[in-house]
Amino acid sequence: MESQSDASTVSLTKSGPDRATGLKRKNGVARNHVKKDRGGGQSVRRQGFKLWMLIVPFIILSLIFSYLPLFGWVYAFFDYQPPIPLSESKFVGLQWFKMLVQNPAQLHTIAQVLINTFAMSGLGILTSIFPLFFAIGLNEIRTRWFKNLVQTLTTLPNFISWVLVYSVAFAMFSSTGMINQLLENLRLIAEPVKFLDSDSWTWIKMLLWSLWKGLGWGSIMYLASISGIDQELYEAAQVDGANRWQQILHVTVPQLMPTYMVLLMLSVSNFLNNGMDQYFVFQNAFNLKHIQVLDLYVYNIGMGNNSLSLATAISMLKSLVSVVLLISVNAISKRTRGESII
Amino acid sequence: MSLKKKVVAGIAVTLSVMMGLAGCGGGNSATPKDDDSLMKVDVYDDLANYQGVQKGWFAKLVKDKFNLKLNYISPNVSGGGSTTFDTRSAAGNLGDIIITGAGNGRLNKLIRSKLVDDMTPYLNGMDSIKKYKNATDNLNKVAGQSSGVWGVPMSVSTKAPDQPSEGNEPVFGPYIRWDLYKKLGYPEIKNMDDFLDVLKQEQDLARKETGDNSIYAISLFKDWDGNMMNNIKQPICYYGYDEMGFVLAAVDGHDYQSVTQKDGMYDKTLAWFNKANQEGLVDPESSTQNFDTLTTKYKNGKVLFSFWSYLGPAQYNTTDHKKQGVGFMVAPLQNMKIVSYGATPNGTGSFIGLGSKARNKQRLVKFINWLYSNEGAYAMAGNVKGMNYDIKDGKPVLTDFGKKLQNDQSATVPKEFGGGSWSDGQPQLNFKSVNATDIDPTTGEDYSSTDWKSVIEEFNNSPLEQDWSGHMGGAKTTMEYLEKNNMLAVAPGAGYIQPDEDSQISTLRGSIKTEIVNDSWKAVFAKSDDEFQKIVDGMRTQTDGLGMKQVLDFDMKNAKDQDKARKAILKEYANREKNEGSSK
Repeated sequence: MESQSDASTVSLTKSGPDRATGLKRKNGVARNHVKKDRGGGQSVRRQGFKLWMLIVPFIILSLIFSYLPLFGWVYAFFDYQPPIPLSESKFVGLQWFKMLVQNPAQLHTIAQVLINTFAMSGLGILTSIFPLFFAIGLNEIRTRWFKNLVQTLTTLPNFISWVLVYSVAFAMFSSTGMINQLLENLRLIAEPVKFLDSDSWTWIKMLLWSLWKGLGWGSIMYLASISGIDQELYEAAQVDGANRWQQILHVTVPQLMPTYMVLLMLSVSNFLNNGMDQYFVFQNAFNLKHIQVLDLYVYNIGMGNNSLSLATAISMLKSLVSVVLLISVNAISKRTRGESII
Repeated sequence: MSLKKKVVAGIAVTLSVMMGLAGCGGGNSATPKDDDSLMKVDVYDDLANYQGVQKGWFAKLVKDKFNLKLNYISPNVSGGGSTTFDTRSAAGNLGDIIITGAGNGRLNKLIRSKLVDDMTPYLNGMDSIKKYKNATDNLNKVAGQSSGVWGVPMSVSTKAPDQPSEGNEPVFGPYIRWDLYKKLGYPEIKNMDDFLDVLKQEQDLARKETGDNSIYAISLFKDWDGNMMNNIKQPICYYGYDEMGFVLAAVDGHDYQSVTQKDGMYDKTLAWFNKANQEGLVDPESSTQNFDTLTTKYKNGKVLFSFWSYLGPAQYNTTDHKKQGVGFMVAPLQNMKIVSYGATPNGTGSFIGLGSKARNKQRLVKFINWLYSNEGAYAMAGNVKGMNYDIKDGKPVLTDFGKKLQNDQSATVPKEFGGGSWSDGQPQLNFKSVNATDIDPTTGEDYSSTDWKSVIEEFNNSPLEQDWSGHMGGAKTTMEYLEKNNMLAVAPGAGYIQPDEDSQISTLRGSIKTEIVNDSWKAVFAKSDDEFQKIVDGMRTQTDGLGMKQVLDFDMKNAKDQDKARKAILKEYANREKNEGSSK
């Protein structure tokens, strides 16, 4: 679940991590802390100004990288064909938006793309609890070197780019790859199995790749949270006679829930934003129908088919849906847990 | 500080930063005088299959003559699509020299956005460019310009437009492994079904002889897929049809078909490939390999059928192989009518132009002029006097090194001509200035060494060719055989250039062609006839739903316009000949 590319959601996630550590309640505490340090009158203002200056660089950065690019939306209303500059391009109003809904076949394609996006993101969210379990499991390993080894090995794949992951996948699973050669030499199959260029189980295959890549990395946040859990809680549980399993169930998991909720909210706001590099490298004529997520679709239309204006129109809709999703999840969270990020 | 003031301050800071960033774009200063020092030239080249600096003998040639170092920017290599063109042109500098297609309004857009320059001020003494005034004027018409020289078209020719632009070998042709065909006892090939049988038998035989099960009769690749799956179109070209968008047009103008037409040419050929796959004749690596991998396979004898003369025969028919009677030759497919592109007096749709931001433009125009000169034409066909050929008694003959190249194109070039392997040092422009089979008036033979009498006598007389000739009615070359048997459909070389396409049409075309190409691949690899039919029917419904008709109408009009242009160029050329004849 990587946050990238899209303007408005990037801004939300950018401010995310700072806030992830301190929800609104804690912000309140921090403010009180500042109040204590204040002198009076003028100097309070000066102090406030100084503190405000500290965040100015970040405001500028988010303006430049998150709000300024929104200007690019204007391309959706023009017939932009490079190299003719925008100023000389024809204004076409809502033509591109109309084109999106003009015929059932087109709608069908978009629907399929959305289904893919929701399926992949949905599967991602369903499995987002895995890193939490993994972190708890890792934490229970008492042998230090083994724990470090496991953690290193599971974290490393996160730093391998998808292009390299694909070349590994190709070497292993292509029709002349390692696995097929092995199976053929063992006389288990006569024809090579098409792992990569077929459309069966595409969603699950993609999920497995991203789990393999992201599991170790995703657990780091939880490991940090676990080390922050008050040891007195465990001692109290032990006094009450809780065994290790019960300690996990009644102390660790509840203590990790706030972190999990925050990460969940962020990933929901990124629901449509499931990145494209993974799907881009794995796509081919055979699996395109089920691998084409929204980001990839936008790319294929804009860059592959040279329809930049239409691609802009599609990506605009995407931003709006993202914002709606974020607001609704935030509202749910507020109601059920009394916590929110906005 | 009030909130309002804070906001104002924030905005002010942001704006100043933005203006700072915007200031990075520089203005153009006056051009300094050319001091003839070594200059690196960025060549934006849509045709090149190579990115980076030119190496080997051609690099040395260009450096010695013009002190230029060519640096290619090749969209083909950097991911395909139009990304490279879009980003570079939006940045305002496409390259110092530009090689691209003029069609679809591109040249017009390049002129309007001032990316390409008029060469007129630099044309003093540039006779080779001026010689093709008809061609440059014709290009202006396409670009909507009334004057100037905005580019010089590719493959300009002095031959008649109804003459094939190819030499001894056509571009398209059913090239099969003749040695295997001989061992099978030369079975008769009446049509494509018989052809499939022969391929099946060849594959069985080759596998039995070598024990190598990775030999396949057919191997495909996806690199050149466009409006349709490129490989499917090739056998269609054996029957006199060629593509124009989504239309398959008979080159003599008697028939126009949609690519999705039921029981049309494309449909039938797709079924042929699927049948081949069901019989186990199609390489399973087809969907993942690229052109380079495939080339290596041909070189190693792993593939038995080549769509083109420049693939199988070029890679596998070495002098050694030919001596053993082994190699690719055209199969006697009895009902074929092979498409041949006629010579183009006005050039094709691609052109070479001068980038507007280039330095030392006079020198660059001299270079372009040289490409169209006699020496340039030879060099573009891979021939350099003294290196691989010489003139003996007024006729071109190969040197010892030139003869070595007949067997091994990667032979090492003599030091004084730049060293390195000959094939690595080829002009990576991939741009043919003058049609390679045009006649050099000083020798009376053409620029391409494969057609020289001396070469044909010495190299086209191997056991392989003798055996082939014996079964082809004594024909010495493929072209001779095809012409004798009326199996050639020459598309008159009008150099028709497609007009600008409405962007809505392009957008529709984008999603439709994705559908066609992907479904074609799936159809080829379908496991049964039922599955095949389902995929093909699905493709028809889906493309119709996406708005196929709208795009097809547009393509149909272009195809018919192309036919008109072809008929017009024949007339124009005839008149030109007549006028020149009467003025003499």
